Amino acid sequence: MLKPFRKVPVLNTASLLLVENEEQLQTRLADIIVQNEKDVNITVRLARKLPLPEENQDSRPRIDLIVFIVNLRSERSLQSAEQSVKYLDPGFFLGKVCFVVTGARCLSGSSNRLLTARKLAASLHCPLLFAEDQTNEGVITVAVRLLGILKVAAGLVPLATGLYLNSLSHCMIPSDLEQNLD
Amino acid sequence: MGDVARTLLQRTLRKIPTGKLEETLKKWAHLSRRQQQSVNYTQSKWILHENIVSLCEENGLTTRHVSELEMIYCMENPNLGTWRACHLTDADEDATSVELLSFKEQFKSHLAELIRNVSIKIKKHDNGAVWIRIAWGDNFSKPNHFKPTYVVHDLQTPYVFISNLKSKHKPLLYQGLVLATKHGSIKDAHLSGRSLHAVRDLLMGHYQQSFPTNHLRPLQERNPPITHPNIEKEHKEHAEKRQQVAYEAFGEGDIPKLETATYTLETRFRGGGGMDTLSDGEKPFRTVVQFASTSLLESLRHCVSSGIAEAPVSPLLSSITQKGRNYFVITDKADKGHNATTQNSRAKV
Repeated sequence: MLKPFRKVPVLNTASLLLVENEEQLQTRLADIIVQNEKDVNITVRLARKLPLPEENQDSRPRIDLIVFIVNLRSERSLQSAEQSVKYLDPGFFLGKVCFVVTGARCLSGSSNRLLTARKLAASLHCPLLFAEDQTNEGVITVAVRLLGILKVAAGLVPLATGLYLNSLSHCMIPSDLEQNLD
Repeated sequence: MGDVARTLLQRTLRKIPTGKLEETLKKWAHLSRRQQQSVNYTQSKWILHENIVSLCEENGLTTRHVSELEMIYCMENPNLGTWRACHLTDADEDATSVELLSFKEQFKSHLAELIRNVSIKIKKHDNGAVWIRIAWGDNFSKPNHFKPTYVVHDLQTPYVFISNLKSKHKPLLYQGLVLATKHGSIKDAHLSGRSLHAVRDLLMGHYQQSFPTNHLRPLQERNPPITHPNIEKEHKEHAEKRQQVAYEAFGEGDIPKLETATYTLETRFRGGGGMDTLSDGEKPFRTVVQFASTSLLESLRHCVSSGIAEAPVSPLLSSITQKGRNYFVITDKADKGHNATTQNSRAKV
């Protein structure tokens, strides 16, 4: 079980955990985030799913933001994210978890998955971002957005905390859409 | 130049891509140098082919010569459909001393005894393999050169690769091969694929195999280091172990390209799950499971190394590389009363 406040934060650092079943977008995001940020020391951990191995418990820094990357083109991706979410301590969901969804453009079979992903994010009160992973600009865009959220979650932005940002940007499903489903 | 020869020549010329045409004709060496230089390769294909056909007519070439051209092209580009592998067994004592000339004589004479009207051509490839092209006829008709059988054999190895063989000619060819190579019998090796090189490499183990080792250095050399010290993979050790298991089962680097693996199951149905009509416990429930892909071993290796398939690799899958076959028949173990899964079944030869 990953707990959010077990470790002490370090000055001027932020730590990000990217969880993706396919392991493709996460490496590109990690490269861009780490190379473009000069003021803050950012570490990125990559994983396929939770739970994380016990052996790394000591060497792992305090995680400030967990990002679940879901590829809507594959059913396994969503299932793996749903399974992994169970291994997080509830304290994480107050501003330290974010969902990124790719492949929402192609509608063949993915509209159901998109809805499932939105419901998952809404039930956990987390923001849901859409990403375009086929082009370089798209990857850079989502990296910049994640960096912004990470800095707030790590407490590096004055007068903003993860909880405040979360209450503004968490995923909501409008009630008419929910009614259409049932 | 006969009709058959001309048609065969036209068909062969159409198969050869224009880029390779010049060197193939040079290797064939049945057109004089002046004639070869007079061919204009920038013309359209139809005119070019008509040109070559007329040059061959000038030289008075026959079917025999044209089939040689076809054979030269096939030896370089063995895209002839499916190749099947066969295994020669029960070698005589002097089987290892069979060399090319005696093999040629023996094979031609034996096959000619068995069937009249058969046209055989034997050539040695640069890499040492012996290629045989056989056009079959029968007692009443001349050899059919449009559907020849190709056989590839490395002397002193017990493997033969055959393509385009009809079942009525199978016993004749097998008999000829067995006698010419001085072995006792020949049997099907249950391996087939579209690429001759892949089938050969798999059977003879000519791919980069990986063996269990206690040292982690091969893994570190194999995987590129992470780009930035701030990025770290959580499941790195698990991933490396999975990758090592996958490489041990299926080989490293470029592995032979197989297209299918077929498992014929003659086991009893043990599913449970309320399917009463199917679980008639006594009779075998016949199924055929087929895996197909553009490069099957590559996909299986990726499945194991990325965690989609469970490690350790099931022996049913790893026996594709260990035993060099891709057709398996799975039967139950003889004793009943086993509540076991297919891991308890064994593969029948």
